Amino acid sequence: MAGNTAYAEPESKLINKNKKVFKPKTVTEKTADVLYWIMRCAIAVNVFALFFPTFNAVRISQNINGNMSLFTCAVSYKSMLSTFKAVLKRQVWIEPAFKSLSFCAVLIIIASVIAIAGGCMSLGNRKMKKLGCFFTLAAGIVELWGVLGINPILNGLINDSYAAGKFDDMKLMRPNVMYIYIAIGAIYIAFSIVNFFLVPKPEEGVGMEMEPKFRLFLMMLPIIALAFVFSYLPLYGWRYAFFDYKSGETLSMEKFVGFKWFTEIFKTAATKKDIMTVMKNTLAMSGLGILTSWVPMAFAIFLSEIKNTHFRRIVQTFTTIPNFISWVLVYALALAIFSTDGFINTMINSMNPNDPTVSTNYLMESGHMWLKMLAWGLWKGVGWSAIIYIAAISGIDQGLFEAATVDGAGRFARMWYITVPELIPTYCVLLLMSIANILSNGMDQYLVFSNAVNREQIQVLDLYVYNLGIGSGLIPLSTVVGMVKSIVSVILLFAANGVSKAIRGESIV
Amino acid sequence: MSDIKLNHKQKREEKKYFKEHTTHIKLTPGDIVFNIVNYAFFIVFTISCIFPFYYLFINTISDNELVTKGAITLLPKGLTISNYIQMGKVNDLWTSVLVTFLRTFIGTALMVFVSALAGYLVTKKEMWHRQFWYRFLVITMYFNAGLIPWYLNMSTLGLTDTFAAYIIPGIVSPYNIILVKTYIESIPAEIEESAYMDGASYWTIFRRIIWPLSKPILATIAIFGAVGHWNSFQDSLILNANSPELFTLQHRLYIYLRKSSNISAMVQSGISSADTTAIAGQMNTKIIQYTISMVTIIPILCVYPFMQRYFEKGLMLGAVKG
Repeated sequence: MAGNTAYAEPESKLINKNKKVFKPKTVTEKTADVLYWIMRCAIAVNVFALFFPTFNAVRISQNINGNMSLFTCAVSYKSMLSTFKAVLKRQVWIEPAFKSLSFCAVLIIIASVIAIAGGCMSLGNRKMKKLGCFFTLAAGIVELWGVLGINPILNGLINDSYAAGKFDDMKLMRPNVMYIYIAIGAIYIAFSIVNFFLVPKPEEGVGMEMEPKFRLFLMMLPIIALAFVFSYLPLYGWRYAFFDYKSGETLSMEKFVGFKWFTEIFKTAATKKDIMTVMKNTLAMSGLGILTSWVPMAFAIFLSEIKNTHFRRIVQTFTTIPNFISWVLVYALALAIFSTDGFINTMINSMNPNDPTVSTNYLMESGHMWLKMLAWGLWKGVGWSAIIYIAAISGIDQGLFEAATVDGAGRFARMWYITVPELIPTYCVLLLMSIANILSNGMDQYLVFSNAVNREQIQVLDLYVYNLGIGSGLIPLSTVVGMVKSIVSVILLFAANGVSKAIRGESIV
Repeated sequence: MSDIKLNHKQKREEKKYFKEHTTHIKLTPGDIVFNIVNYAFFIVFTISCIFPFYYLFINTISDNELVTKGAITLLPKGLTISNYIQMGKVNDLWTSVLVTFLRTFIGTALMVFVSALAGYLVTKKEMWHRQFWYRFLVITMYFNAGLIPWYLNMSTLGLTDTFAAYIIPGIVSPYNIILVKTYIESIPAEIEESAYMDGASYWTIFRRIIWPLSKPILATIAIFGAVGHWNSFQDSLILNANSPELFTLQHRLYIYLRKSSNISAMVQSGISSADTTAIAGQMNTKIIQYTISMVTIIPILCVYPFMQRYFEKGLMLGAVKG
């Protein structure tokens, strides 16, 4: 690499050194920078549009599934026509037209890929920028080729279907979104040409280079994009809370209902009652969890009182196992122990073989559901949660204990006045976190243990959202519930953080 | 290294000293009672943790007739492995096992690689708007849009009823990125700087220096990630509900646990295949459930001993915030 010589001076700060390779910018270069930013935004829009069904430029017929993005159409010709099969059987003649349509989609994808490459190169030095211009130019040409190819295909189809008298059957339409792609393609071409002349001539003997800050950023970019798509984009789904939406439909402004669903919850007697029970269950179970949050600490303290290391090791090993199995497996174990032909009933029956008792399925009872769920939660989690306290206890200065013993402190006094105060900071952090998570009990545990009998007592907020949205298909209503829950959770988290800052002077998030 | 050895030696000596000097202390009756109660509690709790696994296991290796009669309580009777052989003939189960293994391997590998790379990159101060992008990633830990918007987003992206739905959403894991970042910051910066001076690119530094040096933390997140993938069941339940060939093992087990209380109902519901119907005659519902549960548990129990030494490390690092 030509630039390596620049890094040779051992003491130089990277920034200073970069100034040698990257000279101060001229006015034309600054203008080019502005244009580049517009173009980069266009590239971003282009790439995201590929994955959204709303921006599917090749959806030239309503027969094509409205939930298909341009990307899906390009990758899979079969799935593009999956909802078209019936029509396709009747009219074989449309097949070549659709083949070239999917070719257009592929062209747009290729154009986007080239544009991404060109956009990345625009972050480099002059030489790299100049080369990048060719890339974006090529991308623009390919993109326009792809998008403008759609029109003739559509026109051909319209004419042919009129001639065949099947126009209604085809449900053809002109996708307006393709103008977006045309605009983007035009931006690529125009800006590439302009920028090629705006960017000054590269310095002699300097190879293609990019500032470290952009090199690092480009390595990070795919990760940022993934985080955006899977963590930020779902927030856009909150809009369903304001629409009258049924699964499978496409959203339109006619279905906008404002805050109807928010008030609906409290208007309908059935949902109102549901919400009340669900909230009661959620708060009760989280509350019980918080009330018993000292149990792992006590577990750790008493375990550390045992002097036999092997025994301690064994206890720790086996009590941690339940944490690593899923709730489904916990339920499987519960069935094996507590169901009609499970261990408990088998034991009872084998003790008095002459008197056949009626076997009970303990899992089908609805009594004390909150306590039972708490017990399962403790069984699964206590060994694991204790580890952090055990580690903290082993870090306590042994001299403290010895000094206390000399002073006549008994076993419990030592626990209470030495061990507990040392563990309290850790405990407080975990307690605040569990208070912040008071609405999120998770749904796995309650889903696997729920059945027709205990449904009322077990349904927590997370499970309710699942049952409402996935089970009953009431998407707007469940979105509203989920949305309120998310917002309240974030507020609680910040409150807990504020409390922690005020008391301990440290934040927990 | 020598420091650590010395430390160990010191500790050993301390322990020896402590032992010699404490064993002489006479136990009071109160101590004895306390010890008995304490030991008894831990013995009972430990047994309650492992007994269910043991009970499942002895039922699967016992004679089916005895199991059906309810004769198995504490010891297996009439040893046989026919249950496992019978289960091996169920094709449903094999596809699930394959899908679960694949997602565990691919998903974990990608997650570890991306966490390592992102963890390294966010330590580089010269990155363009580093602080902003780091917060952009980390903040996703503290909010989520909720189940339904997430589901709708996934279906908009065309990720429902695909294998990719198991892999791609889990690749970027902010918590693991923080763990790796914290670890990398503890590596002396000189090592990296000298490589940079010698003309190594960021990528080379990452591959040749950062990756090998951060292997302990990468092993930790790999193990936790793999267990998470193996146990995950919501994505299969919600995203891939319409494609039985993509059900994970946990989902399959859930279905068997739910429906097999009545085998005929299971057959009618169309979830089971002809294989299940065929073996239904020979195997009791209960035994089917037990055997599948064992198949699901065994891999976890196999990797468990290897995981153990990473527990504390992972937890302690988790306590350090980013």
